[in-house]
Amino acid sequence: MDAKEGLLLRLRDILKIYIMGGQEVRALDGVDLDVNVGEFVSIMGPSGSGKSTMMNMIGCLDVPTSGSYQIDGAEVSDLDDDELASIRNRKIGFVFQGFNLIARTSALENVELPLLYGRQKDRRAAATAALVRVGLGDRLDHTSSELSGGQQQRVAIARAIVSKPRLILADEPTGNISTLQSEEIMQIFQELNDDGVTIVMVTHELDIAKHGKRCVDMRDGKIVDDQPVADRLLAKEMIEELKKPRPTSKQVVAVGA
Amino acid sequence: MGILEYFRLAIRALKSNKMRTALTMLGISIGVAVTILVVAIGEGATKSVADQVNGMGTNLLTVHQGPREMRLTAAARTAPTQSQNTLTLDDADMVMKLYPDTIAAVAPQVRGSIQIRLFGANATSSVLGTTPSYLAVNNQSVRKGRFFTSMENESNLKVCVLGSTAAENLTGNANADLTGQNISVNRDDYLVVGMLTTKGTGQGGQDPDDVVIIPVSTAMQRVLGVTGISDFSISCVSPELMTLAQQEVTSLLRQRHHLQPPFPQNDDFRVANQTDLLARSESVTKTMTTLLTAVAVISLIVGGIGIMNVMLMSVKERTREIGIRKAIGARSRDILMQFLTEASIISILGGLQGVLLGVVGALLLASFGGWNAIVSPTALVIALVVSASVGIFFGIHPAQKAASMHPIDALRYE
Ligand SMILES: Nc1ncnc2c1ncn2[C@@H]1O[C@H](COP(=O)(O)OP(=O)(O)O)[C@@H](O)[C@H]1O
Ligand SMILES: [Mg+2]
Repeated sequence: MDAKEGLLLRLRDILKIYIMGGQEVRALDGVDLDVNVGEFVSIMGPSGSGKSTMMNMIGCLDVPTSGSYQIDGAEVSDLDDDELASIRNRKIGFVFQGFNLIARTSALENVELPLLYGRQKDRRAAATAALVRVGLGDRLDHTSSELSGGQQQRVAIARAIVSKPRLILADEPTGNISTLQSEEIMQIFQELNDDGVTIVMVTHELDIAKHGKRCVDMRDGKIVDDQPVADRLLAKEMIEELKKPRPTSKQVVAVGA
Repeated sequence: MGILEYFRLAIRALKSNKMRTALTMLGISIGVAVTILVVAIGEGATKSVADQVNGMGTNLLTVHQGPREMRLTAAARTAPTQSQNTLTLDDADMVMKLYPDTIAAVAPQVRGSIQIRLFGANATSSVLGTTPSYLAVNNQSVRKGRFFTSMENESNLKVCVLGSTAAENLTGNANADLTGQNISVNRDDYLVVGMLTTKGTGQGGQDPDDVVIIPVSTAMQRVLGVTGISDFSISCVSPELMTLAQQEVTSLLRQRHHLQPPFPQNDDFRVANQTDLLARSESVTKTMTTLLTAVAVISLIVGGIGIMNVMLMSVKERTREIGIRKAIGARSRDILMQFLTEASIISILGGLQGVLLGVVGALLLASFGGWNAIVSPTALVIALVVSASVGIFFGIHPAQKAASMHPIDALRYE
């Protein structure tokens, strides 16, 4: 094992090839990436550049066609299905592209699921705490159809953090939701990151990417740029900004009268 | 994950689609209900046969007419009477006289259809002409009054003993006591001397209580106008002597009827013993049970296929859910168990419902349909076990399909 102190993810020459109608699609074309414990990495790139494919690989949901991927020093291709399931369950919290809650099931039950599959006790208390953490303490029994887009995404985040994983993977967590809700989600991520949780997040919005500490750019299955974020945005400040009552013309009139 | 958790997950999924769950359950419950009914009817029929045979008296041999063409040729050979009844009263008497060591009693029987009347009431019934030996030989008894005597029999008197159905047809009351009254049999008055004890179950759908028993020669001469008898029953001295008695009777009748070999092809009569009768009834019951069992098995299979269908549909519909579950750490085994538990719950609940339906159905058949249906606890347990197995058997394929899904493909599924 060449796992350095603090090295969480190690990708080397990762290749992922899909065959589509006899045509070879190189979704990942020789990706090298190291992520240390405590990092907050934003991955950007146009649609089809391989971001989701890489996230699935990192999340142990998919295996590369070739190349080496190590998580916590363990070579993922050496693990069997049950071991992969266990890593997904304990080490990784996944927030998917789109809202991936189980339908007709309450927020609480959705959040309890990872604990259930992890055979843990006191699931209710832990799930409640996770939901409170994302600000949904008063929505425990709501099903996904009774929640707004931002709320559903926060339930998904609660589910991702409930088993206290060291790594959170989020694929377009702010797609299709309002700016304020996006900032609230970024705030949760930044707080988690401050607590030491490593975060890898895919986004195609620069404003969202700038909440991370490091930004990786992808094109056609390759990493083309990898830099620290210079002017990092803090969600807490952004939210204060957004909530600041802006005087409308009506109010001006009222004051004047 | 423990079985309890799989159970909770399954219950939640089933609850979230109540209509579909109910319909699938119905498929299984019909199958189970049919099975229980079939077993109940089968056991009822077997018991009826056993009761019947027990009710026929022990050590019983019955001599019947042989095939029709045999009787005609034999009749042409013996006498010019053209009678189709080759068995005669003398045959019966000779059997009794010649073999006192093996044969205890003989009851000749001549049967026919008659009109009976009492005041305004009219009914069709069957007449049975016999001798006082009939009671002992056929294990019958008289509930009121008495059977006619040998004297009355030999004097060709117009006396009769009534079965309960015949009495009911005349008076509207099966327990009516008509002793001492005259009833009209084919426009001729007969004195009722006794009432028969109700027998209840009969052979081949005939009611054994719809009968008017009169002296045998009265029946032959006055009522039916025949020279031969229909059949006669023989009571042997002991069960061990039945084979010997059967041989003796057979050779005597061959001799008396001037029959030529080959035997038994040329016999114009048939000697049946209880075991034959029992075997014959049992084979009929068995055929019926086999047929009904086939129906039950088919309906269970149809129910099972229903479960498989619904589960396959459910797996397809919930592909994304399966993807999510796998992504957050469910092992293939967890998914397999979840769907298998769902299928089992459907089938077990369906089975319980079917047991209920089946038992109610059997009770209804017994009380209104006049069937003898017996629901045994074993049948209920078997039905439940079978329905659970059906659920597991037909649920395994959909569950495996769900478990083997690739998480990414499942998540990408639209
Ligand atoms: N399961 C798949 N089968 C075939 N092609 C796929 C599959 N998944 C992804 N691709 C292809 O791989 C490329 C990268 O896809 P993806 O990783 O989803 O991109 P992004 O998330 O950056 O939009 C695309 O060209 C896509 O069509
Ligand atoms: Mg994507």
